[in-house]
Amino acid sequence: MEPLTSMGVLALMGAAATIAGASEDLESDVGSQSNPNSQVQLAPQMMYPHRIYNKAVSGEPPSNALMCAIGGTTASVLMTTGASPILALIIGSIVAAAVHGTYSVTSYFGRSASQKRFKQPIYLDLIRSHTPVIMGYAFITTFCILVVSYLMVAVMAHPFSLPLLAFIWGIAVGAIGSSTGDVHYGAEREFQNVEFGSGLNAANSGNIVRKAESGLRNGIDNSWFCAKFGGPATGIAFGMVVFLSGWITVVFDPSISEVMGWESIIAGVAMVLLMVMWNRKIEVDARNAFGPYKSDEEEVAA
Amino acid sequence: MIDIVGIIADDFLNILMITFGGVLISLGVHLVPVGGAPAAMAQATGVGTGTVQLAAGAGLTGLVTAGFMMNATDSMGLVVASGTVGAMIMIAVTMLVGQWLYVYGVGCPPASAKVKYDPITKDRQDLYVSQGTEGHGIPTASFISGVIGAGLGGLGGSMIYFYLLSIENGLPEADFIGIASIFAIGLFFVNAVIPSYNIGGTIEGFHDPKFKRFPKAVFASLVATFLAAIMGVVAIGGM
Repeated sequence: MEPLTSMGVLALMGAAATIAGASEDLESDVGSQSNPNSQVQLAPQMMYPHRIYNKAVSGEPPSNALMCAIGGTTASVLMTTGASPILALIIGSIVAAAVHGTYSVTSYFGRSASQKRFKQPIYLDLIRSHTPVIMGYAFITTFCILVVSYLMVAVMAHPFSLPLLAFIWGIAVGAIGSSTGDVHYGAEREFQNVEFGSGLNAANSGNIVRKAESGLRNGIDNSWFCAKFGGPATGIAFGMVVFLSGWITVVFDPSISEVMGWESIIAGVAMVLLMVMWNRKIEVDARNAFGPYKSDEEEVAA
Repeated sequence: MIDIVGIIADDFLNILMITFGGVLISLGVHLVPVGGAPAAMAQATGVGTGTVQLAAGAGLTGLVTAGFMMNATDSMGLVVASGTVGAMIMIAVTMLVGQWLYVYGVGCPPASAKVKYDPITKDRQDLYVSQGTEGHGIPTASFISGVIGAGLGGLGGSMIYFYLLSIENGLPEADFIGIASIFAIGLFFVNAVIPSYNIGGTIEGFHDPKFKRFPKAVFASLVATFLAAIMGVVAIGGM
């Protein structure tokens, strides 16, 4: 393929992946999924009943993989009947969002009902207001992942099938969302009642912030906060993964010659080394800026 | 009737290499710094997600790049190298952006609670661990350990994929690739789950004392992957 065309396609894939990453993280913040949900789940048991949507269908990677695989399979079947790819991808994403919405509602009911003995109420208005938002984010995530997967299959001639690529990217976006954006929700938003940067003492577990800027805090308040940093950061991470892992083989095309293939490997390793150095710089800067939490006892004794 | 013994005898090298790929994945998972749920609350060093999920996310990204490479070239070295690099890029990006969140979003410097000095940078660690936590963020030792671990995972995953595609059978190419890739993903999960019993939720990387337990998991992976490889080779070779 023309290098310029494949660069354009890759840019489109990167853009779609960035949106997918951001919406994936915000979806998990509205519904409270994955690791930070352990605190939402724990709070009523520590006598802190709350008004936060508590779904946690499963860990984020499997739940996103399920969504994307359902969407990919539906789209794939529709395309074999002659439907246009855009229509097929949209209908696939709608089906995936509907399935995800069903799981969200049942898991909210199940999780909240199981905490009746801790006086955790079930808010029906929360279901009416949050579930469409969750489904909306799920639709955006699935659609963008399907766009990435479809472009890989149809334009870049990737040998894997559309549902399989959608499944793999679903796992990847979930893993990235749960390792990056969720930290902003779990370590900062849920615990704004402790001083910024003081660390979260394990003794505070379950004592999540339950009051909002106005009224009681709910999942939509959380996504409002996380949309400022956690969501976009997740988007950048997933966009970078899709873009960089494709960029090395687009620029150094292995189908031209084997030497080019090895150059693509070297380019990839160079990128990883750059990221190691960048990480080290952040580490040093953070240590200098924040300083230690305690003084060195050996020095004090001397 | 499928000639099971004949298929196993013909593809014994493939079975051995698939098993070796599984062992590499198992070893690689031990090196990835996962903090599980506590890390998502900045209460443990490492990336804030589960072992299996992170390893699978990285390894499968490697599988996608390896699959792409295999479409363009027959060179085994290039296929496994691209799988390795794809997984390394995924984990490096994830850890780097995770680090942004810990430093700029939560305000905690990266620190390990398992060692007093970072084995690579020799930086003092214990003073930077906030009260009541087991460390936070991703110090350089954990970062490098994670990159190596994901690289091994990607290497193992793409080796499995490559040797599954080397089995002779009568399937059309698209079906063959579909079955081989699904089987490679399945074996990846098997070998990502086995070490997670060793890790028990959190591990910081090669400097973590838990890392010393890896021989048991590697042995378990060897047995599990060997049996799975025989089944896979017979199933695919008999088609």
